[in-house]
Amino acid sequence: MAQTNSTGNTKHVKKRTMLQETWRHLIRNRGAVLGMLFLLFLVGAALFSPLIFDYEKDVIGQNMQDRLMAPCAAHWFGTDEFGRDLFARVIYGARYSLIIGVGSVFLGLIVGTILGSQAGFRGGVVDSIIMRGIDIFYSIPNIMTAVVIVSLLGTSTVNLMIALAFSCASSFARIVRASVMTIRDQEYVESSYAMGLPTWKIIVKHILPNCLSPIIVQITLLIGTTIISASSLSFLGIGVPAPAPEWGALLSAGRGHIRDASYMCIIPGLAIMMTVLALNLLGDGLRDALDPKLKK
Amino acid sequence: MANKTILEVQNLTKFFTTPAGQLHAVDGVSFKIEEGKTLGIVGESGCGKSTTGRTILKLLEPTGGKIIFDGKDITSYSRKQMRPLRQEMQMVFQDPFSSLDPRQTVMQLISEPIIEHKLLKSKKDIEDRTLELMETVGLAERYINVYPHELDGGRRQRIGIARALAVNPKLIVCDEPVSALDVSIQAQILNLLKELQEKMGLTYIFITHDLSVVKYFSDDIAVMYLGQMVEKAPSDVLFANPVHPYTKALLSAIPLPIVGKEKPKRQLIKGEITSPVNLPDECRFMKRCDFADECCKKCNPKLHEIEPGHFVACTRVAEGTI
Amino acid sequence: MAEDLVLDIKDLVVHYETEDADVCAVNGIDIQISKKRTLGLVGETGAGKTTTALSILNLIPNPPGVIKNGSIHLDGKDILKMSQEDLQKVRGNDVAMIFQDPMTALNPVMTVGEQIGESIMLHQNISKQEAFEKAKEMLKMVGIAESRAYDYPHQFSGGMKQRVVIAIALACSPQLLIADEPTTALDVTIQAQVLELMKQLIQEKEMAMLLITHDLGVVAEVCEDVAVMYAGRIVEKGTADDVFNHMRHPYTEGLFDSLPNLKQRGEQLVPIRGLMPDPSDLPPGCSFAPRCPYATEACTKSIPPLKSVEGSKTHFVACTAYENPDFSLRRNENGK
Repeated sequence: MAQTNSTGNTKHVKKRTMLQETWRHLIRNRGAVLGMLFLLFLVGAALFSPLIFDYEKDVIGQNMQDRLMAPCAAHWFGTDEFGRDLFARVIYGARYSLIIGVGSVFLGLIVGTILGSQAGFRGGVVDSIIMRGIDIFYSIPNIMTAVVIVSLLGTSTVNLMIALAFSCASSFARIVRASVMTIRDQEYVESSYAMGLPTWKIIVKHILPNCLSPIIVQITLLIGTTIISASSLSFLGIGVPAPAPEWGALLSAGRGHIRDASYMCIIPGLAIMMTVLALNLLGDGLRDALDPKLKK
Repeated sequence: MANKTILEVQNLTKFFTTPAGQLHAVDGVSFKIEEGKTLGIVGESGCGKSTTGRTILKLLEPTGGKIIFDGKDITSYSRKQMRPLRQEMQMVFQDPFSSLDPRQTVMQLISEPIIEHKLLKSKKDIEDRTLELMETVGLAERYINVYPHELDGGRRQRIGIARALAVNPKLIVCDEPVSALDVSIQAQILNLLKELQEKMGLTYIFITHDLSVVKYFSDDIAVMYLGQMVEKAPSDVLFANPVHPYTKALLSAIPLPIVGKEKPKRQLIKGEITSPVNLPDECRFMKRCDFADECCKKCNPKLHEIEPGHFVACTRVAEGTI
Repeated sequence: MAEDLVLDIKDLVVHYETEDADVCAVNGIDIQISKKRTLGLVGETGAGKTTTALSILNLIPNPPGVIKNGSIHLDGKDILKMSQEDLQKVRGNDVAMIFQDPMTALNPVMTVGEQIGESIMLHQNISKQEAFEKAKEMLKMVGIAESRAYDYPHQFSGGMKQRVVIAIALACSPQLLIADEPTTALDVTIQAQVLELMKQLIQEKEMAMLLITHDLGVVAEVCEDVAVMYAGRIVEKGTADDVFNHMRHPYTEGLFDSLPNLKQRGEQLVPIRGLMPDPSDLPPGCSFAPRCPYATEACTKSIPPLKSVEGSKTHFVACTAYENPDFSLRRNENGK
């Protein structure tokens, strides 16, 4: 439809910066707020858990008299087969899940952004080489890649992060490439050339800041996926080495007791599920808040 | 006045390769501009006027021909070699909405070229210069920390002009600088550009589809059709005595805001601009021209001088049959 | 004149109510158009032209748009009181609309003939075959070869597409055609062709047309009547001769002075100072007063109503200055 002359002016009515505008839209989205609150709690738990619990004693210290106790006042989430308090382990586990999730996503973000912006900006042969490489990675299941990398490098938290970063990098590269390609043709990029800016400066100063919104959304969504992948790898036994209370490992340990102590599976499972759900809610909220087309 | 020639373009060509074949965006354009003058390039969409402007600034690589700026042949300059020259040749863009980075404030936008070319060092000097530029283009000081999306089209175009002026250029290519603006704002910007030219001795290449704007603004006017110049003359001569059939049609197609009084009879031309892909060697305007005959099919006419300073590319005019 | 009245808008008020502000897009306008006549609605971006046009079809997006007041009579029937179903019958059948951008107005996956035929079938009870035949006739009418009915929109150029859009609009012989900047996206030579075609069709089909534009040249070319709109109000209206040759309102004068068309090279353009006011925060009294070179204290006191110019039946102006019988615009004084 033709532009409606009058409605176009409404945004000049009150002046807000883009950040304030985004925040205002975000806090009106109930799901996003819920997600944010849960994540804040989780981050708090991860940060302060070493102060609340003694790692050696509460988290990995075995206590065979109390083994396999159902949730009660003393042990809110019950205990596992070695008598360790599940509450302490789950809270402490948030550290692992978050560190792995955030770490591998940011590792992937750096690599993916460099590759994607080069592919999108230069186009032609560079684009073909980078993107076909990424396509190959995409065609192999993430878990497979991760299994291969971990078995090559050996099991450790850092290696797990590197393994997971691979799949993050390829999805960031695709998103960055697509946004860069649309922004590359905008007149303000041409204007920067006419101004005499070198190419790398144009990419860093003008192109990347303008594809920030899809990247931010992707970060939140990918942290969720990565947490699941990390848990799956731990579940398979090639993730974080025991006795660290990674959620996937907790789940895996509970598997043997699914009949007699089902809470051992249910609780870490719920922890994973709620974290991923919170991240997805926040990601969706951010997507709506950052999309200028949805703004009135 | 024998002014110094600041820009000379010789036989400039720019082809794009498309799946359908070679697209002749600019095909053998030549002209000279003296310092402090304005050349208007007029034509309809797809005639290659914007491509010409961008190729001169080397934002696009020319396929052939020569660009001589201020005595230097810059045709084969690399991006890096061009960088210092960017101080001397600038551009004002058509769309004041997409030509400014939405994530930068007015201060950042205007000071960017100053910082980039290291014209000033201290923060204080840069800010003073930015404020001075804002005053020059008529932007109130209170807009310094505002984002472009909070401003109207006219003010945004003023930012664009301030950016171009920041490096004290000699030549500014204006690509449809007012066509996205309302008439009353259009007049403000046109007056501003004119004032700046008088004050700073700027040279303009003024690209537009709007003949009335160009008439008001330019010393010389070049009319382009399908990548080629069909007529070039001093502004007054072109409007008083257009010779090429296309120029005539273009002039008579402008709807004049006159009612009742004697109005020139309109000459409508038939058809629409043809595709600039794989062009045969014949007059490019022939299919729409009322005067076309057999001789127009034989070759693509070249510009020739019919009176001092007035060039036309038309076979029939050359033969003296119209 | 009154018996042929096709469109009669009285005291129309349209606001956009957003959470930030109440945007007063249209503030009480009256428009009448009779058969075979074209009214040019002139104004700058944000004047409320498009909003006016959309309200005639009751197409204002609601929310945030609200028609606060007024009546719109189309051929004697009040549009604003109609049910949705009746409205759908009116749209396309009695009133048709042409938008600015022909590139987005056509469906890319249907042939041009099918699209014209579809709009005929919607309003007339005929078979697909008949509709397609009729579509071909329509194409011929707008100057496109019948054989091209089988082509898809991307095979047409911009000017041709706008012709197709016109053919679709006219397919059901509407009484009123609303054209919102129909030639702004086209090149001048093509614009001239399309305007010529529209002018001719209005006469042939005995329609009325509301032409919305910012280009005074286009108005001079096509319209018999002109209404100049500023900040949601009509500030001057009359026949083209009234407005172009005997203008009364300072804004109209400002518009003409801004045009480079008639100026000689080297002459200074006289722009209107300042900017269009924010429609959510209109100044008190006459909206043009802050930009008006003739403004006095009195202008900010009350909103001037449209008053007849020297008893003329066609020419009206809304300007307080004319309460002083000696007042005249600079332009008119120089002319005398």
